[in-house]
Amino acid sequence: MQFAQIRDRVKTETESDGPIDLSALAGTWVNSNPDTNGIARMVITQSGANLSLRAHAIGPEGLIDWGTVDIQVFTSAPSSRISAGFTCLYDFGFAETRLQAMILKGLIVLAQIHRFKDDSKRMDFFVREYFALDHGRY
Amino acid sequence: MTQTFGFKQSGHLDPALSDPATRMLNADKLTGRWVNTSPETQGLAEILIEQDGERFSVSALGVGEDDPIAWPRTNATALANLEEEAGQRAFALTASFDFGFMTAETYLRVNKGVLVIVVYHRFRDDSLRSNYVNREFFYRHD
Repeated sequence: MQFAQIRDRVKTETESDGPIDLSALAGTWVNSNPDTNGIARMVITQSGANLSLRAHAIGPEGLIDWGTVDIQVFTSAPSSRISAGFTCLYDFGFAETRLQAMILKGLIVLAQIHRFKDDSKRMDFFVREYFALDHGRY
Repeated sequence: MTQTFGFKQSGHLDPALSDPATRMLNADKLTGRWVNTSPETQGLAEILIEQDGERFSVSALGVGEDDPIAWPRTNATALANLEEEAGQRAFALTASFDFGFMTAETYLRVNKGVLVIVVYHRFRDDSLRSNYVNREFFYRHD
């Protein structure tokens, strides 16, 4: 087994090779910052063994629907089968936004990497925000 | 003449992104040699961030069985990090490593003097390992 750090040299038991538990990610996630000028809400939906994400962001005149994209799921360790994060890419033409998320203490910590592809000379930028699961219990 | 920018969120229209001063941010807080705060890490032992003009590169040493494993130098993209704590402006970096059997997509930022790296590992071999994300912390050791 090849590895680039000792953490990745693990046994992969056949009985643990079932599907990854996606339940930690599915749901509606709301930005903890009511004054954000970025993503306000993410809806993550499970369809079989896959997850998709639909984001809504704050625009000058209200919410902007970013549409739905497939997400790639990550666990917290090479031998884990429990979802703990995801990545996905939105390509808007003039710019692309890569989302890189991980769950910490029940929150999604979402890193957003924005790269401009137009000639606006805007600098690529990075935003990191927190999202809470809208669990609807209280 | 008024220039119209494409946007998909208000953040895309932040005037700071077009401010030449943003590109001139001091990257001294980011560049240098960094050592993992955990002596027991089984991940990355060290990270080296270098700057040549507007170009950045990242290399690392992974903890190996006997000797460290070199993560070869790779180009990094500098990102304006406008919303870090206390409104400070800083750089963050994103970089990808490709080992063939695995890719590692990372972002790096400094928070209160600590370098934080988040790594998304994706396995491309038939080892049945799960793709995973982890986060590690480093202190400056120039």
